[in-house]
Amino acid sequence: MSFDPIPYDLLDAFKHFFSVFGSTMLIAIVVCLIVGVLTRGLSGVGDVFRGILDFFVQIIHVSCRRVWSLSILTVREALRQKILFVFIIFAVLFMFAGWFLSGAADRPDLQVQSYIDFVLKAISWLVIPIMLLLACWSLPEDIRLRTIHTVVTKPVYRIEIVMGRMLGFTLLGSAILLVMGTVGYIWINRQVPESAQYKLVSKVPVYGSITFTDREGAPTAAGINVGDIWMYRSYIEGATKARAVYKFRGIDESDAINDKLVLQSSFEAFRTHKGNMDKGGILYQFIFVNEDKNLRVPSRPLINKEYSDNVLEINRKLKDDNADGGAGAELDIFTDLVDKDGNLTVEVQCLEAGQLLGMARPDLFIRTPDHTFLSGYSKAVFGIWLPMVLVIMLGVTISCFVKGPVAILTTLTIVLVGFMSKEYMNELLSGQMQAAGAIEAWYRLITHMNSQTALPDGPVKIMIEIVDTGIINFLWLCQQIIPNFGVFSNMREYVIKGFDVSWDAALLPGIITTAAYILPCLLVSFYSLKLRELEAK
Amino acid sequence: MNKLTSKHRKLAYVIAIIVLLIPVIWLGMPSTGEEGSGGELAQLRVQHELGESTLGDVDPSSASMNFVLLGLRGIATNLLWMDANDYQKKKEWAKLRSTVDSIILLQPHYMKVWDFQGWNLAYNVSAEWDAVEDRYFWVKEGIKFLNEGVTRNERYPELDWKVGNLHGQKVGRSDEWRQFRKFYKVDPDAERYEGGPDPEINPERLDNYQVAKEKFLIANEKELKHKQHLQMRMLFRASPWHAQFDYANAMQREGKFGKQRTDAWAQGFKDWTTIFGREEFITPKGPIVLEWTEDDIKDLAGRDENITEADVRHWTNRYQDTSNYRFWRTRALSESETETIDAHKAIYDGEQLFRSGKFDEAKVQLEKGMALYALVLNKYPSLLSEDLAIEEGLQAVILWRYIHDLKGLQIPASFPLKPLWNKEQGRVPELENDLRRRYGIQ
Repeated sequence: MSFDPIPYDLLDAFKHFFSVFGSTMLIAIVVCLIVGVLTRGLSGVGDVFRGILDFFVQIIHVSCRRVWSLSILTVREALRQKILFVFIIFAVLFMFAGWFLSGAADRPDLQVQSYIDFVLKAISWLVIPIMLLLACWSLPEDIRLRTIHTVVTKPVYRIEIVMGRMLGFTLLGSAILLVMGTVGYIWINRQVPESAQYKLVSKVPVYGSITFTDREGAPTAAGINVGDIWMYRSYIEGATKARAVYKFRGIDESDAINDKLVLQSSFEAFRTHKGNMDKGGILYQFIFVNEDKNLRVPSRPLINKEYSDNVLEINRKLKDDNADGGAGAELDIFTDLVDKDGNLTVEVQCLEAGQLLGMARPDLFIRTPDHTFLSGYSKAVFGIWLPMVLVIMLGVTISCFVKGPVAILTTLTIVLVGFMSKEYMNELLSGQMQAAGAIEAWYRLITHMNSQTALPDGPVKIMIEIVDTGIINFLWLCQQIIPNFGVFSNMREYVIKGFDVSWDAALLPGIITTAAYILPCLLVSFYSLKLRELEAK
Repeated sequence: MNKLTSKHRKLAYVIAIIVLLIPVIWLGMPSTGEEGSGGELAQLRVQHELGESTLGDVDPSSASMNFVLLGLRGIATNLLWMDANDYQKKKEWAKLRSTVDSIILLQPHYMKVWDFQGWNLAYNVSAEWDAVEDRYFWVKEGIKFLNEGVTRNERYPELDWKVGNLHGQKVGRSDEWRQFRKFYKVDPDAERYEGGPDPEINPERLDNYQVAKEKFLIANEKELKHKQHLQMRMLFRASPWHAQFDYANAMQREGKFGKQRTDAWAQGFKDWTTIFGREEFITPKGPIVLEWTEDDIKDLAGRDENITEADVRHWTNRYQDTSNYRFWRTRALSESETETIDAHKAIYDGEQLFRSGKFDEAKVQLEKGMALYALVLNKYPSLLSEDLAIEEGLQAVILWRYIHDLKGLQIPASFPLKPLWNKEQGRVPELENDLRRRYGIQ
């Protein structure tokens, strides 16, 4: 994989949510109190707290029946707006997709990736924008045409109107997604040639931690940098004591497939000389280490096939020619090689002098029994559903306080920034980028000053720093508020690469990210709709 | 207030529509494909070869994509290009390939896109893979990509030249040339191609240099109609004939010294002297031919009163130097002679014997080859102006001297090719390194 699936820190996420949400609420209450006191005197304080209480009162009294009716109404309205025409575009796309994709990389294994990528991208690019438009347009249009009066004159709470819209659009989007997902699944299965059908699985990996030793065998933070622009992998030198040491935790018999331990690797080779070109790859070896029992059991030499799955199946019972007990002593992987803490340590050694083998943490894993392709695929479709729900919530919320076109633009901007610029924002805010301030960058541009040179001391520098600090703080605020849509696109990557979508590294962050916006969106939309003059067009 | 009735107004609209339609039809009527058909604009398009169909095959998906994007094609292409760079950086090869395909949907007639991405696939992406079979796969991808570019763009002789260059230089001169040339005739994907070549690359099961020659000939043909901007015209037009020499030379590199190789050199000599050598090239002092006679000089000088015979000789000489014309003429001529063939064969056999550890036999063969090669160089001294010829002799001497070292023998004070050895000492260290890598000499 081209990224490291790091487990999500749920506790940290909750802490972050409560600090951001809590402080925002506190600031909002303080501002409301000040405005209340200024405009209504001391009675303003009571009004503010009554307003706050109102939200909780309405939330407690929410009627599922009323919300459901409003949802059905929302679905009917959307259907009347010919929303299902989206299926025509979808059908056209899938009818002709084969033309475009069949030529893309003439290898069946690479083609499978293209097909899955296309289906998941096509679905998300159709569903998310359509739901965005619907969610942003619906409420302002009802207000403009005054059809909202047919609802607000009935005994329903404002919060129920908002919830009804959100739920209605979510139901509609889910139905569309379900149909598209099913068609996409059938299409992939039909399109993938027989010879590559075996690629349609969801591998379930167990990842370990990785450490390195240098050519003298001493522990080191990383391997050798061979000058690759992408610093993802670190390299070990062949025919030296350099090793990559993987430690897998909690390994037991349940991780075996047919009583075999399956190790899958995808290392990258770097040659300093041509070597033997006919062999098909560089030789390497695994060494199973159990320091408790002072065991070091090497595997047979293996040939590294780059960018493909190198699978090594090891019988649970294996012979250890180097064991102290004499040649050929039989060992059990799970009882003899797994240490007392349940860890399996695997060292990777490159066997060829002058050649290097590059690896990152996800490049070696223990493959446990596969799940079906449908399992991974449906999780990836769920990975489209989550941002769709988030977009609906944001769209409905924003449309509660601005008109349709403005709501569309605002939501679109948030979604685009969330999808494309989160990493860039993180880079700016983390201080990794030199001369990151907007005014400072502008000043350096016009004065032809590089980012290494310090700004000259004086009032200009002070001014620049003050303004830039303000801008950076605003950016920080945006970063906290704008959802990170990047967490959802990771799910697609798992399925493209033939993996099951990881629960703790992909699904959980996706669910938590979406769930984190429910309460803020309900709050903002409730107060916006409550304060909005519905007579205004 | 408008005093016209509704009926009158409608009538006026109809008349206005008809009047406006006349210039629209006159200007914009589409061409039926026949010469002179269509409106003024269609005829101008044909006249200046600006129509989509005159540029090459029209891809409906590409045309519709550009139509849908309106003026945003450039932006979309830039975004895709950045994506492609990112995929390449992260070694996402399937995504890179499909993104490159999307880019050319948007820019089907931008020569540099085809040129760069074809080269990128065949050279950069290919080199990223470790197994030779995989590298060859990506060389083929580069060729297939450029082939597509050629069918969509009939007016760029450069693209045909690039295709020829991939077939010739990339397949025949890479580090992996031995395997590539083998795969060219028997694809490593034996199951798919049933033990034959990939039909999209080598449908007629030829040598890679023979296919390269065909492609270069097509490029030359196109170049007569559409100017190329790749290199000096004379060098561009020499490419097919160089491919013929490479074809003959490749057989030699592989130890094939039979009739096929000799015929290839003879064909090369014939092509070089009767086709390329007789072609007229324009110099600042009028046209010249590289294979000239006194009559040619007089005739060429006689075409313009401002040009003298000395001018023609001067410029012919300069162009011959630029194209290394005399060297290749002599080389092709000499390679058809038994003495030269024997020299090459003895040196080749000596190298092979050295590789298999038979040092005594290798020494004998190398001595024989060196002696014969010295005779060839004495007979054709102009061969000493070319790297390949010099290096072949020097490599034989290096191996021969190395065998002496291994055996603890004294190197004789005099040996064949000694003048060459003394003269070209500057090249020796690099060649020694090269041989060390090739034969694993410590």
